[in-house]
Amino acid sequence: MTNSAREFARVRYPVLLLSAVAWILLLANPGGMVGHAHFHAMHSGVMPLGARFPMLLAMNPPAALAAGWLLMLVAMMAPVLIPHVRHIRQRSFRRRRARSTALFVAGYGAIWMAVGAVALAIELAVKLFAAQSYLPAAGVLLLASVWQFSPIKQRCLNRCHANTELAAFGSAADLDALRFGLRHGIWCAASCWALMLFPMLLPQGHVVAMVAVALLIFSERLERPMPPSWRWRGLGSLTRIAIAQARIRLDARTRACAVSSGT
Amino acid sequence: MATYTRTNAWNNAGTFANPDLLWYAKGVGAMQKRALDDLSSWWFFGAMHGEYVKESGFPGWGSLPQPPSTPTTPQPSTSVWNKYWDQCQHQSWYFLPWHRGYLLALEAQIRAAVVSLGGPANWALPYWDYFGPGTQYQIPPAFTAATLPDGSHNPLYVKARYGPQNNGNIYIPIPPVNQNCMSNDLFTGTDHNTPPPGFGGPKTGFSHSGSTSGNLENNPHNLVHVYVGGTAPGGATYGLMSDPGIAALDPIFYLHHCNIDRMWATWNNSGKTNPTDAKWLNGPAAQGQREFVMPIPGNNAWVYTPEQMDSLSKVDYTYDSLPALAPAGNVLVQRLTLLGAPAAAARVKEGASVTPDQNEELLGANVGALPIKGTGAVTTVKLAADVRRKVSASLAGASETAPPDRVFLHLENVRGTHDALALNVYINLPANSNPSDHPELLAGTVGLFGLRRASRKDGEHGGDGLSFVLEVSKIIDTLHLQNALDTDSLQVTIVPHQAVPEQAEVTVGRVGIYRLGQ
Repeated sequence: MTNSAREFARVRYPVLLLSAVAWILLLANPGGMVGHAHFHAMHSGVMPLGARFPMLLAMNPPAALAAGWLLMLVAMMAPVLIPHVRHIRQRSFRRRRARSTALFVAGYGAIWMAVGAVALAIELAVKLFAAQSYLPAAGVLLLASVWQFSPIKQRCLNRCHANTELAAFGSAADLDALRFGLRHGIWCAASCWALMLFPMLLPQGHVVAMVAVALLIFSERLERPMPPSWRWRGLGSLTRIAIAQARIRLDARTRACAVSSGT
Repeated sequence: MATYTRTNAWNNAGTFANPDLLWYAKGVGAMQKRALDDLSSWWFFGAMHGEYVKESGFPGWGSLPQPPSTPTTPQPSTSVWNKYWDQCQHQSWYFLPWHRGYLLALEAQIRAAVVSLGGPANWALPYWDYFGPGTQYQIPPAFTAATLPDGSHNPLYVKARYGPQNNGNIYIPIPPVNQNCMSNDLFTGTDHNTPPPGFGGPKTGFSHSGSTSGNLENNPHNLVHVYVGGTAPGGATYGLMSDPGIAALDPIFYLHHCNIDRMWATWNNSGKTNPTDAKWLNGPAAQGQREFVMPIPGNNAWVYTPEQMDSLSKVDYTYDSLPALAPAGNVLVQRLTLLGAPAAAARVKEGASVTPDQNEELLGANVGALPIKGTGAVTTVKLAADVRRKVSASLAGASETAPPDRVFLHLENVRGTHDALALNVYINLPANSNPSDHPELLAGTVGLFGLRRASRKDGEHGGDGLSFVLEVSKIIDTLHLQNALDTDSLQVTIVPHQAVPEQAEVTVGRVGIYRLGQ
């Protein structure tokens, strides 16, 4: 293994493990996350709005909402941070690697938590007024689709690939790591905000939708930056990998069969 | 015996008395008569390497000096464009195999044209061996003649070719252009004889514009590009060869790449091996990225992988000269000897196993971005005392089980708009001294081929620019032996081969120094 591959592994495996643990927690307890504690009477129509809102808040205290949102972020977004964490570690003094990575993650997380506050407020509002309706989710899906294929989305994705220079010493190094995280968070949130909102507004099946969205986000990050334009951005990258790998394995098996049969 | 043999362009004095060059000129002329959207046109092949067809102003294809008269219409359909254009692989371990396939496809098109004009059926591209004896460091004269022997226009002549002195005199300065990469052991990766990222380039996916060039790609490949291209009088524009988006419009491009391809073949001939990693063998298409695809005569699409390109015999051609490499010295033996550990050096020479290096870490860095203007720039690279002490201790106690640290200078996030520059990088160059008097302080020379493309925010590299790695272990060894390594900082001086034009923007994001060791 080359030094560079070894260093990549040092980042990749812990981050993937972290993401996997978050996914397990989400899958194990889908009802316990993000504003999903609700009471039958709330959407039975018998409880007045003035009573429903405090009850909704009581069942979904802000700390629990924030924790649920954070868990979702870790599960879905940790894998796409691997190249950037690797960049920070590579460009930082060894003794500062953990600190700089933490500052980057703090900056990135701060942006997403701010976005989360708005997203959770929207979710609570939907739970309050249209808890069992698919209409809000459908509306966001439409919005997310337009955003997904737009030139702005490409611009955001391009910026998400950036790995800029970082100061090495003192407070300048801290500031750069934090700034890098904030900047990356802004472009990442600008790229994915609508996609992230969609599963939250689904009355049911939102963990399945989250998995689909996570795959989409991971897949689109595998594409290289390109000039902004209206274009289809879907699971093309992951699909192409799957097809290419299947073809390679099939070819290898065909060759092996040919060799073993002496042809 | 291979069907096709590529021979030296300098045969018959590099003039049109060399039939390979005369037929090449006629073939290029035939391809240049075809339309931009014709898969077998000169322009289509140029765009497959890289293009600025839709850009206004230089280096947009519509604003390039003539000849040649480069078209910008009719453009192919989006699907054809996306399938074929902007494919060239740079700063990647795919650099060599992609260009080998590209040469084969161009050669097939030229050969078809040559045959249709009554030429030989076994015509092959010649190569320009700028390391050859005598005057071979100069461009073969057939490329600078205005006309062919029959008095017609010479398709090999282009106006935008300015040379290392920006005066139209086209030659390759040797040094700094060198063949040091030929002593590398590893295609990808690093060991004591192979500075990172390796002879053939770093492990990447599809990489039309990447970050760090392989050692062969950096020197001689990139340097030859920027020296041949050069800067136009006035400094506002540069020669075709200097930028991947216009380079393959200049017919000398393919002769340069034949020589790079020949160097790869020579390296393999000496027993150095190509990657066996499935990701290299199967190419980026196996990772869900673009495939390598070329049009071949008959407008057929030929898809290929690095595995199909990894030896000349697989593709049925050879070179008239694949010289055996002189045995390379063992760098670790040299360093151990220099550092006063002759017994360890002797053991390494006898084949004692050497403990591999495990860790790379930052040793020092400058503060702030460094603009490169005029005749150059100087910056102070501050060293971290604890890491520097590790390096000193490693050099003082070096042996085969505790090899001396290796030290690298990185130019990180180099951005700008002027590709036609070679930067000479010195460590601790005395003030007011003539850089050329201090070759012992030269960390290396880098060419900025691809700078503009790598700096575009919506380009394939997200605007991160280019990065360069230069091994400076021997300079650090000398400082250590002179008791001059116990210092807080090193001075890094960057001297462009020609003054940077005023309107050019070139900035080094950060200068970093790293150690690799236990």
